[in-house]
Amino acid sequence: MAKLVLAKNITITYDDTQIIKSSSFSINSGDFVFLTGVSGSGKTTLIKTLYAEHKLQNGEMYIGEFNLSKMNKSQTSMLRKHLGIVFQDFKLIPEWNILKNVMLPLLITGIDKSQAEKLAMQYLGKVKLSHKADKFPPELSGGEQQRAAIARATIHNPVMILADEPISGLDDYSASLVMDLFIRANKLGITVIIASHSIPQNFDILFKQLHIEKGKIYELS
Amino acid sequence: MSSLKSHLTLILALISIMLSIFLFRIFSNIMNLYQKNIVNNYSIVIVSTKPVTSLDISQIESIKPVNINFEIKKLKEKYKNIDFSNLQIPFFYRLKLKTLPSPSELQEIKEKLKNYDFIKKVMTKSSSQTKIYNLLMLLKTTSKVFMFLIAVLGFLLILKQLEVWKLLHSERMYIMELFGAPFWFKGASLFKTAFLDSIISLIITVGLIFFITDSILFKNIISELNINFKVNYINEIILLVITSFLISFISSIIVVIGKK
Repeated sequence: MAKLVLAKNITITYDDTQIIKSSSFSINSGDFVFLTGVSGSGKTTLIKTLYAEHKLQNGEMYIGEFNLSKMNKSQTSMLRKHLGIVFQDFKLIPEWNILKNVMLPLLITGIDKSQAEKLAMQYLGKVKLSHKADKFPPELSGGEQQRAAIARATIHNPVMILADEPISGLDDYSASLVMDLFIRANKLGITVIIASHSIPQNFDILFKQLHIEKGKIYELS
Repeated sequence: MSSLKSHLTLILALISIMLSIFLFRIFSNIMNLYQKNIVNNYSIVIVSTKPVTSLDISQIESIKPVNINFEIKKLKEKYKNIDFSNLQIPFFYRLKLKTLPSPSELQEIKEKLKNYDFIKKVMTKSSSQTKIYNLLMLLKTTSKVFMFLIAVLGFLLILKQLEVWKLLHSERMYIMELFGAPFWFKGASLFKTAFLDSIISLIITVGLIFFITDSILFKNIISELNINFKVNYINEIILLVITSFLISFISSIIVVIGKK
């Protein structure tokens, strides 16, 4: 398997505190990865670094051809077009309806609006939200918003999905639906990285675990 | 309601800036024409013992002899016992100036003229000229200050609008950026709003301009001033279109670039 993410001796700081200290790890293309650790261990900061929202202080990190330590604005924009990001607080655009929110990555890549609309409806069907396409985010429950966010994160066939605490705060039904969506995306060959406090029980597909403890990243298989 | 309010802020700001620019330009043109008119009607008369063709005074535009034949004829009729042919009659000249002089400039010109020993007398319309000059300067300064204040008010409204835009659009632009949206995509909605507001404010401003320049009061003022003044609507509207779009475009770019 080809390496999709390669981190060499990376150090990441947040508010002048070293969150990650001289750590290395790698993720293969198609891996399903859980990024675990206690609250404040640096999971979110590492996820943010992976989508170039947060800068590396030291070391080198690659996602495919992209060198995260030497990224300019247009490269950042290019990288993000290949990623699907799922946030803990969903980050749906409140003044857009769910359909338009799901269409966002396609509209950014310049796909024809009617084609994007068609595809978005298909993806809303996959996350069981077709009937709520014209609703606005505040009108949906947390679980529904998270499913819409996953539809948005997968609609443009990303190379990798980065999800930050995607099931925290969701009820069991929504949480299992959301996890199922990630598994299905992974079966299509998309690399999935999920930051989470713990690994869900009865999770029965092969996965890799990156555990952050005291600023160090440990690879556990 | 809040959306309408946010539109109104930019529209009002643009209208005030555009109107102040238009009124400033129109007022300046009217004042300049009026000033020229006064200068054309204004002259200094000198009495010289010898013919004068030129004088080394930069403010003087032309020197024209004053025809005094009529006055001489009247004098001859009045004083029949005097033989005018033996009299040495001086030369009279009317001096036209390039610009309307300030009272101090006028004094300076008079001093210079008196320095020529062949000039025996210098006559000016001093008191009325000073009044007109002072009035003109007062009007010019007042209008400039007034237009400047309106423009400042407009810019303050625009700054407020930038804050409102930041609040309204920053979250959406941030989310778009997280998905790799390019600059134009992030700002598209803002650019559309700014464009729409520019069009609305342009229509209102042009309407106001036609209303002002077509009013009886405005026409009366122009006719009272006795000047040949016409508004070049095409030039003015082109200038306003450029101003309006430039301000809106720059404002929206500031918001898109400056978003946190």
